[in-house]
Amino acid sequence: MACRTAAPGCSTPVSVHLGTGVFRVRARHQSASLILLLVVVAACRPETGGAVRTLVDDAGDTVAVRAVAHRVVSLIPATTELLFAIGAGPELVGRTRWCDYPAAAAHVPDLGDGINPNVEGVVAARPDLVVLYLSAQDASAARRLRALGIPAIQVRSDALADVPRLTRLLGSLTGRAAAADSVAAAFERDLAAATAPVPADPPSVFILVWDEPPMTVGAGSYLSELLARAGARNAFADLPASSGRISIESAAARDPDLVFTSNAAVPAFAGRPEWQAVRAVRERRFIHAPGSEFSRPGPRAPLAIRELRARLAEAAR
Amino acid sequence: MSGRDGALALTVLAALVLGLAVGSVPLAPGAVVHGLLDPSAPSAAIVRQLRLPRVLLAFVVGGGLALSGAALQALVRNPLADPYLLGLSGGAGLGAVAAIALRASAAWAVPLAAFAGALGAIALVYRLAVVSGRRLDPRVLLLAGVVVGAFAAAVMSAIIVLADAPTLRNALLWLLGGFGGASWQSLAVFLLYALLPVFVLFRSGRALDLLALGEDTAEYLGADAERTKRLVYVSASLLTAASVATCGIIGFVGLVVPHACRMLWSPLHRTLLPVSFLAGGVFLVLADTIARSILPPLELPVGVVTALVGVPLFAVLLRRTLA
Amino acid sequence: MIVAARNLAVRYPGAGGRALDGVSFEAHPGQLLAISGPNGSGKTTLLRALLGLLPPEAGTAVIGERPAVEWGREALARAVGVVPQREETVFPLTVGDMVMLGRYARLGPVAAAGRADHAAVAQALARCDVTGLASRRVDELSGGEWQRVRVARAIAQEPRILILDEPTTSLDVRHAMELFELMRELVTDGLTGIVITHELNLAARFADRMLLLDGGRVAAAGRAAEVLTPEVLAEVFRWPVAVSPWRDGAPQMTPLRPSERDQGAVS
Repeated sequence: MACRTAAPGCSTPVSVHLGTGVFRVRARHQSASLILLLVVVAACRPETGGAVRTLVDDAGDTVAVRAVAHRVVSLIPATTELLFAIGAGPELVGRTRWCDYPAAAAHVPDLGDGINPNVEGVVAARPDLVVLYLSAQDASAARRLRALGIPAIQVRSDALADVPRLTRLLGSLTGRAAAADSVAAAFERDLAAATAPVPADPPSVFILVWDEPPMTVGAGSYLSELLARAGARNAFADLPASSGRISIESAAARDPDLVFTSNAAVPAFAGRPEWQAVRAVRERRFIHAPGSEFSRPGPRAPLAIRELRARLAEAAR
Repeated sequence: MSGRDGALALTVLAALVLGLAVGSVPLAPGAVVHGLLDPSAPSAAIVRQLRLPRVLLAFVVGGGLALSGAALQALVRNPLADPYLLGLSGGAGLGAVAAIALRASAAWAVPLAAFAGALGAIALVYRLAVVSGRRLDPRVLLLAGVVVGAFAAAVMSAIIVLADAPTLRNALLWLLGGFGGASWQSLAVFLLYALLPVFVLFRSGRALDLLALGEDTAEYLGADAERTKRLVYVSASLLTAASVATCGIIGFVGLVVPHACRMLWSPLHRTLLPVSFLAGGVFLVLADTIARSILPPLELPVGVVTALVGVPLFAVLLRRTLA
Repeated sequence: MIVAARNLAVRYPGAGGRALDGVSFEAHPGQLLAISGPNGSGKTTLLRALLGLLPPEAGTAVIGERPAVEWGREALARAVGVVPQREETVFPLTVGDMVMLGRYARLGPVAAAGRADHAAVAQALARCDVTGLASRRVDELSGGEWQRVRVARAIAQEPRILILDEPTTSLDVRHAMELFELMRELVTDGLTGIVITHELNLAARFADRMLLLDGGRVAAAGRAAEVLTPEVLAEVFRWPVAVSPWRDGAPQMTPLRPSERDQGAVS
């Protein structure tokens, strides 16, 4: 098709300069596709019902949400637990594959990963609220969901303080504000009861997340918080990052009383000669606490703290 | 021994001493010496079980990487060649990630898998680079290495996406390189893999001088170009694979150290290879010391320090060479 | 030591025709043989076949008493010094170190250079008149100096045979003449010399024998006067030339321009 414009070597798109006949055909195509797009979007839009309000999520984005959400996708295991705790279990239409508590969660459809979720899968569940973890990877998923008209909020779920806060937030979003409030209040009471009195000389615990390379977590991590409430202290509380690698030598230098592992009661590296420099390893003074309640800021935190207190007491003997 | 050689020997000693003296446990120099000599001294456990193997491992790994780099630069007749251009770091990463994803729990599993992955990549690149007539073409070697490395990296990313996030994050941190978990065992394993390749490479010094002139010229002067190429390629690759398997990927040592040694000493490989080995050892011991001293107790990955130091150093060298 | 080809035929694997066919010649000590021919006529192939790097399909290439393919690489390097057409200088050495590389065939991979080696190098440097350049880097040399250094390296091998492949490419008149004079001297000392060259006129004046290749076959062989004739040259190079003798009797060829062709080829 020859270029009608005068520009030499022009490569302007076809639609710009060809005859009106073709343009009319294109316009018809365009309106047809526009209609199709609108139909699709309308079909994807969840059932309308109730008023709309806006809130600012933990990422700082202003999100328009339904006053009451009836179909919730929870992409964080902690919020799945919280939703069940406030009685919103029936409203859950999607969860991550890591959401293993409570047992009833198994009946909620598994949508895959929470971080970098499968947006199509989430959309297919036709939710009217999606709860995502606050992270850079999830920001784009949140944006895409909102662009498709699905209210999606990102929340911080890293510390104990997030638990009552999120409980109340989820309560208000699912029309269970009263239940949520009482759950949150009960949680706070239980937490206070479970928290050990601050000892004069708390045992120091070296939280070993990984052994090759040796990695630990700093004061900001959830596990560190739990241990503090259980009456111990994180041997690496001053770590300049929330987690990072350290050397065996620095572990030896800090001479922790106990080593916390989540893998095995007596982990494989315990026998290696280089680890014998750490007294707690040499004396096999391990605390082993597998279980998701130790890594997930959720309603089971008081339970986790009590377990830790029991282990610490055992180890002290 | 010339002044330069004396300076090098002193630097080696200084680096080793510094590496032994610095650490999380504050030890007076006297305590360090005491710990070295007397197994029952209080500082002995720290010095003998942790610092000494760590410093020695950093030294031999750095030496091995620099040695491979120097030899490979002659092999492909390109001063910008780096042992990691050969795709084996991708293979090693893939092996390590696969082992971690499969929850291989034995202590030696991850390094062994990394080594196996590196070997696989080496074999693949070699196969690709052997053109008709069974001659190893160095240009194809470089290209094949880049391609295989990219492929391995892609597969690794796929595994990462499919597997458990925290575990794989730890795997990636492992790959970034570090000596935090160094032990006599890891040193012994490395030496086991490394001794023969180091020996072969040192012996190939003169042949590399000839090979650097071009394969035809090398043959006219009496060198067996094909055999030299194969020996050097396999040895340098094995050496690099061993270091990746032991302590992850540490870049820039193999690229920058041979360059510096060539400028400061001689391009003749009978000198260059041993000097590169020593200088590489010094470089990595110092880098490791820095990596654990900047933000204690956090250990920066050594690969980050070598890059941060290596890049400006390389830029300076490049300008001097081109000037 | 003699270098000879006897009915040598070489075919590259997978090639349609033979790269060399029925090539025969002999080069003797004290003689300089010049091999010429158009591009693609097989000169470099002949060089590789003479050095045993290409196995013959028929006939033999002989170095000394043995076929070239039976020589070990190091033994061959002790007997034959080759100055190839091009080589790479990615890592520039000093001239002294470069010439010392010629001792590889006698030193092997590990032995340190001994007095004999240093003496051979010194002699080679002197012979090629580059002693003063010994500590200069090879990438700082002029074209002529670089060529002489490479010849010195070949001499340092203490060979009986010296082969140079297009040594005067990119050399100016003076350096080309100096190089040919050097070749002549070395051959007079007792080496067997072979030079592959496009410089027909210089070859005619310096070489004892000439060999002209065309399409893998010998187009002409013998003394310069027998090889450099207008008929032979016009056919081989597909260009009309005039040939006239120089003062020393060596035929010198002059390619003709189209306007000159009618004036007759022979003067």
